Amino acid sequence: MSQWLAHVIERAANVDDWLSPVRANALAELKQKQWPGRRTEAWRYTSLHKVADLALKTSSQAVAEAPQVNGLNSIDLVFVDGRLSTDIAHLQLPEGIRIAALDAKSDAAEALFANIKPAHHLFGLVNDVLAQQGIVIDVAEGAQVEQPIRIVNVSTNGIESHQRTLVRVGQGAKATIIEHGVGNEQSLNTVFAEYDIADRASLEHYRLALQEDQAIHVGGSHFRLHNESKLNSTLVGYGSQLTRLDVDIEHAGEHAFAKFNNIYLLAPHEHFDLHSTIEHAQPNGTTEENARGIIGDKAKAVFNGRIHIHRHAQKTLAELNNRNLLLSRGAQINTKPELEIYADDVQCAHGATVAEIDEEALYYMLTRGIDKQQALVMLNFGFVQELLFQMPNKALADWLQPILRQRFERMMEQK
Amino acid sequence: MLSIKDLHARVEDTTILKGLNLDIKPGEVHAIMGPNGAGKSTLGYVLSGREGYDVESGSADFDGKDLFDMEVEERAQAGLFLAFQYPVEIPGVSNMEFMKESVNAMREARGEAALSSAEFLKKAKEACKQVELPLDFLKRGVNEGFSGGEKKRNEIMQMIMLEPKLAILDESDSGLDVDALQVVAKGVNSQRDGKRSFIVVTHYQRLLDYIEPDYVHILSKGKIVKSGGPELAKEVEASGYAWLKEGESA
Repeated sequence: MSQWLAHVIERAANVDDWLSPVRANALAELKQKQWPGRRTEAWRYTSLHKVADLALKTSSQAVAEAPQVNGLNSIDLVFVDGRLSTDIAHLQLPEGIRIAALDAKSDAAEALFANIKPAHHLFGLVNDVLAQQGIVIDVAEGAQVEQPIRIVNVSTNGIESHQRTLVRVGQGAKATIIEHGVGNEQSLNTVFAEYDIADRASLEHYRLALQEDQAIHVGGSHFRLHNESKLNSTLVGYGSQLTRLDVDIEHAGEHAFAKFNNIYLLAPHEHFDLHSTIEHAQPNGTTEENARGIIGDKAKAVFNGRIHIHRHAQKTLAELNNRNLLLSRGAQINTKPELEIYADDVQCAHGATVAEIDEEALYYMLTRGIDKQQALVMLNFGFVQELLFQMPNKALADWLQPILRQRFERMMEQK
Repeated sequence: MLSIKDLHARVEDTTILKGLNLDIKPGEVHAIMGPNGAGKSTLGYVLSGREGYDVESGSADFDGKDLFDMEVEERAQAGLFLAFQYPVEIPGVSNMEFMKESVNAMREARGEAALSSAEFLKKAKEACKQVELPLDFLKRGVNEGFSGGEKKRNEIMQMIMLEPKLAILDESDSGLDVDALQVVAKGVNSQRDGKRSFIVVTHYQRLLDYIEPDYVHILSKGKIVKSGGPELAKEVEASGYAWLKEGESA
């Protein structure tokens, strides 16, 4: 047991709100948990020694601004060190959408909290017992909400914080949710989000885990897809001192479609770990998952992508691909795409590569007079930019592109 | 403009060009025809400096400079352009950034100032219009998901943007229907200004109905075996390349 976790369990006893009965279950689970070590499969390549004895302040008075995204025109819900700083009572909301704080009891919150996210995620349980603040978004049946909703988590120096997001997209409804996290000073921030996507509903989702440098960020996005629902999700991550994300997508209905793109861009010495699990529990589902990473000097990335096709899930189409580009000999990737198939009539493919430069593309660029160094920058960045081009929200993509490009150019200089 | 003397070149262990001579003056259009395997594409690759295409002997003087002494990008910057038979797809790089980078690299090499975004866009719009490509092509990945015809037109678009001294068109007609062929030819003809030179590499005479060459050369087994005027292409059209074999046995 780590000091930090012992302290979490202690603090959990003081949390008293309408979610207490659910939190009690989570606490019981948490008490059973072993502190992960090298032999814990889910944490094999990510050491938690930086968290084990962490003792940060758990309350904050910090005031901070959310990063602005030009042209996005989103409804912003801003959390600073886990505290909601947006006055949600006075938001101008499009028709068909309700936004409430987690501390207000609601049907939606009750239906979602700890019901979508699998219980085995250690930090998910921590978030279950400690996240007192959060947001609950309820999109009514049939509502077509075009305006994106952005949930921003800002972490400031010396603070530990926990935030929760719960989203229900009603039957045939459509919504866009952006989870946007930032912070670069010493901090620990956990953010877990649960999404229920009803029959024929469609969710466009982004998770920008842009914590960097000294920050520690652990979180997850967990989705349940019902009949004929659609999920288009893009995750963009930096490394930070430690960034660990768990994504679960459960095909709980038939004919659901999930597209999940991941981009990670690790500056020197950063650590990024993404575990994704796709559960095909029902027939006729489709999953397309593409993860691309560029890893800087002495940085370490971990990708574990699992697709689990249950016996009953015939006619599943599933593809999982992970490609990595190492910028120096000191960069490291541990990648493990896994397919577990128990149905016999499915089409699946998976693969992982450590990429090399496409010589033909390089030659083509040189014949157009582009200098070799510049051509390599364009090609290498193009490797992740390809997934940026696929983002349905062009304003967000246009905002991210130069930011990621600059980060990449710095990574090239530092190798 | 370009003077090739006794060029021998190989791909891996196989010598493909075996003593090729070619002299091109400013403003001239030379067609190079020949059967499959004659070394037509190899010539373009060797001249552009592709890795793996090694010069064994011979020389190429390009505008007073030793072409084989230059890097691939230096040759391009000096004004050599190769329109690919199979243009390469680069999904993560947009046509826009690709072309902007390329145009400005050429301008820098010529000692000209880089184009502003507005100037670049204006030029790109005009070039797109000339080869009948919709403007939104610029936003897409380089050649990504383009049809064969679109790729070929994109090559010509690039040539128009880059204003080379010498353009080598490697089978720019292959896989095109008549309409697309005319668009490509029109784009090429618009760039004939009396100074710019062209090497039009083709298997068939068809393209030469639209781009009229000054000279036609027949390439066979790595050598130019016959040269003449446009009428030579018509002969090939009528009799094919079978006579090459007869000549050999005779």
